[in-house]
Amino acid sequence: MNETLLLQTLVDGLILGGIFSLSAVGFSLIFGVLGVVNLAHGIFILGGAYLGLALKAALGLDPLAAIPIVFVVVSVIGAVLHQTLVSAAVQRGSLMTSLLITFGISLIVRDILILIFGPDIHSLASVWLLNTFHVGGVVVDGARATALIASLALLGLLSLVLYRMKVGRAIRATAQQSFAAGLCGVDAGRVHTLTFGVSAGFAGASGIVIGMINPFSPFDDAYWTLNAFVTVVLGGVGSPVGALLGGLLLGEISTLSSQYIGPRYPNVFIFGALFLMLIVRPNGLLGNAYKGSV
Amino acid sequence: MGAFNPPIRVGVWALSGLLLLGALVLPFVLAPFHLRLAQQILLFGGMAIGWSLLGGFTNYWSFGHTAFFGLGAFSAGLLSQQLGPEMSVAFRLLVGLVFAVVLTLVAAVAIAGPVLKLRGIYFAIAMLAFAEILGEVSKTFDFFQGTSGFPLPTLSALGLQKVQLFYFLFLLLFVANVAVFVCLRRSRLGIGLICIGQDEDTAAMLGIPTERYKLVAFVLSAVLTAIGGVLYGYSLGFISSGSVFRIDISLNLILYSMLGGIGTVVGPFFGAAIMIILTQVILGDLLDLHMMLTGTVLIAMVILAPTGLMGLLQKAWNRRRTAAGKARA
Repeated sequence: MNETLLLQTLVDGLILGGIFSLSAVGFSLIFGVLGVVNLAHGIFILGGAYLGLALKAALGLDPLAAIPIVFVVVSVIGAVLHQTLVSAAVQRGSLMTSLLITFGISLIVRDILILIFGPDIHSLASVWLLNTFHVGGVVVDGARATALIASLALLGLLSLVLYRMKVGRAIRATAQQSFAAGLCGVDAGRVHTLTFGVSAGFAGASGIVIGMINPFSPFDDAYWTLNAFVTVVLGGVGSPVGALLGGLLLGEISTLSSQYIGPRYPNVFIFGALFLMLIVRPNGLLGNAYKGSV
Repeated sequence: MGAFNPPIRVGVWALSGLLLLGALVLPFVLAPFHLRLAQQILLFGGMAIGWSLLGGFTNYWSFGHTAFFGLGAFSAGLLSQQLGPEMSVAFRLLVGLVFAVVLTLVAAVAIAGPVLKLRGIYFAIAMLAFAEILGEVSKTFDFFQGTSGFPLPTLSALGLQKVQLFYFLFLLLFVANVAVFVCLRRSRLGIGLICIGQDEDTAAMLGIPTERYKLVAFVLSAVLTAIGGVLYGYSLGFISSGSVFRIDISLNLILYSMLGGIGTVVGPFFGAAIMIILTQVILGDLLDLHMMLTGTVLIAMVILAPTGLMGLLQKAWNRRRTAAGKARA
């Protein structure tokens, strides 16, 4: 009995972790390539979820089918925001000021979301969810399993782009040494904008996945931003693998602590882990994927 | 150090004295609503100056000062609850203040070691996480009563109304913040801190004990913020985790400092005055748009005037002087 419970908790943690990984990978890319901590990350996620909601209401589109549209729309918004605001702030001030800019963006977008959709809690429902199934006494929830599969597929896609395509090589090169990449003909400014856009797109897509298993409201963005930050600090900056590792760890920490210590404790443990990691090894377990350990 | 610090001019002393005098008369002429605004401006403007002790001088931007704010409010509030209603409120407030200061001192010294080793964004986020941890802890354990909240006794003294009384307390704290800021800036310590802000490695190489200096600034800033928290808690009369452990308090302190001009003593005050009046008076009826406005001002300031209003004034002043110099030549 106890072993089944432990197994169940571990499986739940893995599934949750896979979703955390997807939700954090965009944050991780922006941090790794641009050095910017994107405090608007959570609001991009929510933006994606609400866009899915709107598409479903307007066109009757299934949330899973809406993922490509959401990805493109949020990407474009992200790229425009980077082009107009974020890059200006980084050039004029310091990386520090990008924290303020992205926080300002999150405040504005949150207000817009409230004005359009209201402050209530919503959720997304898809007809394509897997059925809940049992594996040797462990219950796997259908919605969560679907979300996990979608997450892994998107993460795989990103890895493919980063490690097998020319664009990905330009992104990695810029992250390593933007000056040297420039000498080789890479336009660092464009790569930054591209990275910001793609990352925002992944955040938006993860919003749909999250919306299918979790109800959401416009006030959740800080939670998701912090979650992404913890994931990145646990795993390592700038790579899908780091995000996956961090996300899985975070998922396990949160399910194990809520199962065995108490349902109110996960947040304390999550932030405790963040604080500890920042002090012990701020670049994550895998270190910085591109820059080497600084 | 005389070469660095010419004595404060008589005119500045006189102006400060006049302003203080005006501030002392204010509670007897203003309507309660306006007085409450003035309260907030003094409290949060003062705390923004306290934040600048670290953020303004050394460029270590704390995104989690609400940790100390909440720590102060909770420790004083819980202590007053333990002492019980037999003791007078003023006494409990005083004991609570001492308790909160000691507790914050211990907490700040304890986390300063590891946290101050981090730089830039990592420091900012570590402080954010620290604030979140304290907020979550206060909500999680029943002992702290953070979820449901708890009342604080009502302070009354000298026959003043509550609004007036707390106005004076906040004014006192504001003056203390200003005094600490000015003394620090004019001391050897302050110059060292400014050097750390410009280039920490060079500062260390030049023989500035960077670790010790940063620690002092961090602890001072934390303690002043905690005192603000104690007074704020008593002025609210009822506190919960949601009302004192708030990310937006941390961020507002930064916003006020940025708006006015980071590293100046009057900047944070003007920043607080402008934002509070803007959001509460001019947009008082449009509560839904508060966040949007704060966000817009934040973005506009970062892009258009990264040195703040004081920076803009300084620039205009320099331009006028150069123009005058040219005219003379």
